[in-house]
Amino acid sequence: MSQLELSITSDWGKIAGINENILVFLESCELPAESANRYAMVACELTENAIKYGSFEEACSSISLCIKVGPRDISIEVTNHIGGGSHEYLRELDRTIQWIRGFQDPFEAYLERMQAISRESMDADRSGLGLVRITYEGRAALDFFIGDERTLSVSAVSEL
Amino acid sequence: MKYEGQETGASQSFVNDRLRIEYEDGAESRTVRFLGKSFLKDPNDFVLPILTKVLQESVEAKKRIVIDFRELAYMNSSTITPVIKVLEKARVGVGEITVIYRKSLKWQEISFSALIIFQTTDRRIEIVGED
Repeated sequence: MSQLELSITSDWGKIAGINENILVFLESCELPAESANRYAMVACELTENAIKYGSFEEACSSISLCIKVGPRDISIEVTNHIGGGSHEYLRELDRTIQWIRGFQDPFEAYLERMQAISRESMDADRSGLGLVRITYEGRAALDFFIGDERTLSVSAVSEL
Repeated sequence: MKYEGQETGASQSFVNDRLRIEYEDGAESRTVRFLGKSFLKDPNDFVLPILTKVLQESVEAKKRIVIDFRELAYMNSSTITPVIKVLEKARVGVGEITVIYRKSLKWQEISFSALIIFQTTDRRIEIVGED
């Protein structure tokens, strides 16, 4: 089992560098380039969500990213603090994951989400495609749990 | 937002972080080329105005737009949003758009082939995967 743990700030500008670090790690696990790119995408989409919807009010608040590569599967987990106003986001996260699970083929969920985006106004700025992309392109199963100390962990697990 | 724009006659180049968008006005079509990597947080602020302007001008000039993703190495899921919106705007309205992606890159095949739902039977809007 190989493992990568990163502590990430809420600075969006660092995501490109994080993507590169993840790629180096995944390639060191001897994953083919195509798989490494796919799982780096999954980790970055989860990290982007954590930055967008996490709480960083406390000085020590950061995002932790943990990637475990085993002989048969890979798990990617992103944990961040959540604030008092995060109830709506958590409900939306739960709804979205349940909605995705309702599709036999994640490609159908991806298409449906793209069609929904096409019907939205030009200035609507939320794509909502990230989680769907993780299941479709990343071929991963999504889950989440709320920790004791007001933390949210979202995980994506995929067979290698 | 880091933003640079450069205009030289019939071509323009726009840079935001690691993403470069090149625009070229050809005799029969206008090409919008995506290069590099896109980690944009708000692509509606950067990509959408470029695509909307090109669509409007191309309709007036009666030229096809070619949106070329073949040199794009990575994009986050938000980046596709303005592309979807411009394709839909052209689909229900006017304008001719060709989206080209690199079929041999697995992530491009997976992401861009799904845009086929916006393709029209008369190929006014078409999605093309090239090897």
